[in-house]
Amino acid sequence: MNPTELIGPPSPLGYPAPYWFLVTFKVLGFTLHMGPMHLWFAGTLLAMILARWGSTEAQRWSARLLKQMSVIIALGVNFGIVPLLFTQVAYYRVFYPATILMAWPWFLIIILLTFAYYGVYIYVTGLKDNAELTLFKRVAGWISAILFLAIGFLFSNGFSLMTNLDAWPQIWQSTSVAGAPLGTALNLADPTLWPRWLMMFGLALTTVAAYTVFDAGVFARRESAGYRRWAGSFALKLYTIGLIWFAVMGLWYVFGTWSTDVRDQMFASPLILLTVLTALGPGVPWLLILFQRRQITQTLAIVTGLAQFGVLGLNAISRQFVQNIELSKFVDVTAEPVNLQLSPLVVFLILFVAGLGVVAWMLEKVLRAERQPSTG
Amino acid sequence: MHYPTWYVPFLTSPMLIALIAILHVLVSHYAVGGGLFLAVETRYAYRTNNKEYLAYLRDHAWFFILITVVYGAITGVGIWWTIGLASPLATETLIHTFVFGWAMEYVFFVLEIVSAFIFFYYWGRLEPKVHQAMAWIYAFSAWMSLVLITGITAFMLNSGAWVENRNFWVGFFNPQFIPQVIARTGGALLLTSLYVYLHASFRVKETTLRDLIASRSTLPALVGAACVILGGLGWYIFLPESAKAALAAASSLNIMMVLIFALTIAVFVMLYLGPLRNPSWVSPGFALVLFGMGLTVFSTGEFVREAVRKPYIIYNVVYSNQIFPEELPTLREKGYLEGGTWTSAWVRSRYSNAVQSQQIDEQKLLALPEADQRELGKVLFQYHCSSCHATREGYSAAAQLVRGWTLEMIKNLVQNTEKFHFFMPPWAGTPEEAELLTKYLISIAPPRPGGMK
Repeated sequence: MNPTELIGPPSPLGYPAPYWFLVTFKVLGFTLHMGPMHLWFAGTLLAMILARWGSTEAQRWSARLLKQMSVIIALGVNFGIVPLLFTQVAYYRVFYPATILMAWPWFLIIILLTFAYYGVYIYVTGLKDNAELTLFKRVAGWISAILFLAIGFLFSNGFSLMTNLDAWPQIWQSTSVAGAPLGTALNLADPTLWPRWLMMFGLALTTVAAYTVFDAGVFARRESAGYRRWAGSFALKLYTIGLIWFAVMGLWYVFGTWSTDVRDQMFASPLILLTVLTALGPGVPWLLILFQRRQITQTLAIVTGLAQFGVLGLNAISRQFVQNIELSKFVDVTAEPVNLQLSPLVVFLILFVAGLGVVAWMLEKVLRAERQPSTG
Repeated sequence: MHYPTWYVPFLTSPMLIALIAILHVLVSHYAVGGGLFLAVETRYAYRTNNKEYLAYLRDHAWFFILITVVYGAITGVGIWWTIGLASPLATETLIHTFVFGWAMEYVFFVLEIVSAFIFFYYWGRLEPKVHQAMAWIYAFSAWMSLVLITGITAFMLNSGAWVENRNFWVGFFNPQFIPQVIARTGGALLLTSLYVYLHASFRVKETTLRDLIASRSTLPALVGAACVILGGLGWYIFLPESAKAALAAASSLNIMMVLIFALTIAVFVMLYLGPLRNPSWVSPGFALVLFGMGLTVFSTGEFVREAVRKPYIIYNVVYSNQIFPEELPTLREKGYLEGGTWTSAWVRSRYSNAVQSQQIDEQKLLALPEADQRELGKVLFQYHCSSCHATREGYSAAAQLVRGWTLEMIKNLVQNTEKFHFFMPPWAGTPEEAELLTKYLISIAPPRPGGMK
């Protein structure tokens, strides 16, 4: 069966905005989502390991990260809505069938996320002053860490299946009842699945390391000088491990699983520049962390955070190009007619800018409060 | 048809949407009303310098965040997840129509999250005016989220003039918009008071403070109840004719409407006699009963609101079985199996002898062995019918509905679904395909129950 037979007709409504606009917000949203998502994906597990087996400073780091985790998860879930929204606008013809073929595992993400999120809250209650970190709370923390890994694996399945149309006919025929999928499949036979998931874990380790520096330089002013020194040294080790991991998995992914089409385009001008920048990008935050291994400064910590954001952005852009190349032999997502919804788009952009202004105002109040001694 | 149909035995996949949606609205309305409650009451507590009340509000804010930011936010995303799986064509249509509505809602969602966390985590560290401002930013943003989402969900019930001009604003400001905004705002106020009674009854031991909380939450609850009634009337007035008819015709919906009516009156009476006249009545038991009744009214109301849309999932735009109304003539002429992306691929891969000149030959389908014909009938059932019907057992199981019917009766029903029941989508296939579906249905229909005179 030719997999293109399984792609439905385009929406008669057309795109509500040009493709470039939709994909820009998709990539921007995914970049914003990746930051917090990395912190829970790799950070929770690492924090649990260090809470159990780490030094005093490592345990302090673990507690700091997990205390912030509820806010981090809220922001990550929130930022995740944007790429999901724009994926459904521009990639609906492949997104819906892929997720329906694995409907139950995809649906399970919501349930697992709920448990993982509450697990973090339960664990954190044990970190409050005078509270006891009981066995139940520790188990809740470990369960959360494992669930976050599982959720990442399911996401990798969904988004790799979205472009792995060659696998659709077989998956569909083997898991359906009279042509209707039971939704029990996973994309396990896809060679890109494991390196993609593991590569993301490596990248997540680098984000955790960069955030450690950012946190120590910006938020952890009340922590001891000893902790801040430890944080710099720890971040360097963690970033290095993450970088090596990312590089190994990246090599496996690029040279072991990319199709000739993808390789030809990603290694030819002009995309070769993007490929090289994506590969070398993590070197910038690594160097910045190297400079701060003994002394983290606020300015450099902020620059490190921004540099890591740039790394994630490059990664998101590259992924987008690869995704489009993989899909190009089945469907051209850029070719759909545009039925521009100008006035709603303008209202959205105005609200977006105004919203950013309000967020900035709120954060300014928070920073001001941070500079003052607590009154409550 | 355009997409594969997710087969969920016994339950049907759209019922998962109903399940998640109901679980979500019970919290999402609290997320809106609770924001207003915290903003108004924090202002009151600061103004009267009531430190005990402020301490309670801080405790309540923690409960509020645990419920709304975690559970509410994830189930909200969960609705997205589920509608894409169970109703992909409707989701595709909604998202191509209202993506900027959702994007606007997203902006307010960001404001909600940030302000909620600052409001709680910086309690006592912000100046009172700034602290109150955070609460008001949250309250306004949450209400705007309600307004924006209601525009989209109300569109699903009455798309109004959108069908003619396909304009975003015409679709957004549909006839159901204002009634539903009023009803949902009222619902948010009412439900929040029930959450407050419940929380306070368990957490506050000091009777003076508990009485204060009870009495201050009663007026919003009564105003909310009035808004629910007013919005509910508007909802009924602006229902499409078929939805009104569905409401009158379906006995299960009749029962639900009576339940809603009776429990709303009971809640109203309990609010009057309890928190308003006798605040000390707000014990954990009393609050639990009130809360349970409120949740029942809400859940039932949401179910009714969803059910009356039939035969559409988006009124006049997408049928509940994932077909555009304008596709019907072609499907009836060329065949549903041929017209459907996935059904067509299925037939081509399994029954190549029924394909001639790249087209499925309807006559050849009827020349297939009986078992194959029944199997193709099952394919038609899965794609045409399983959005609303389980097969042999389960939710509105088709086999039970045609129990004891003759072949002719079933065939007549299949070809004239919308004439037998106006709330069913019309048959979207050829007469030959109707034959196949009939053969499948007769094969699963149990005989007429015995022992009847």
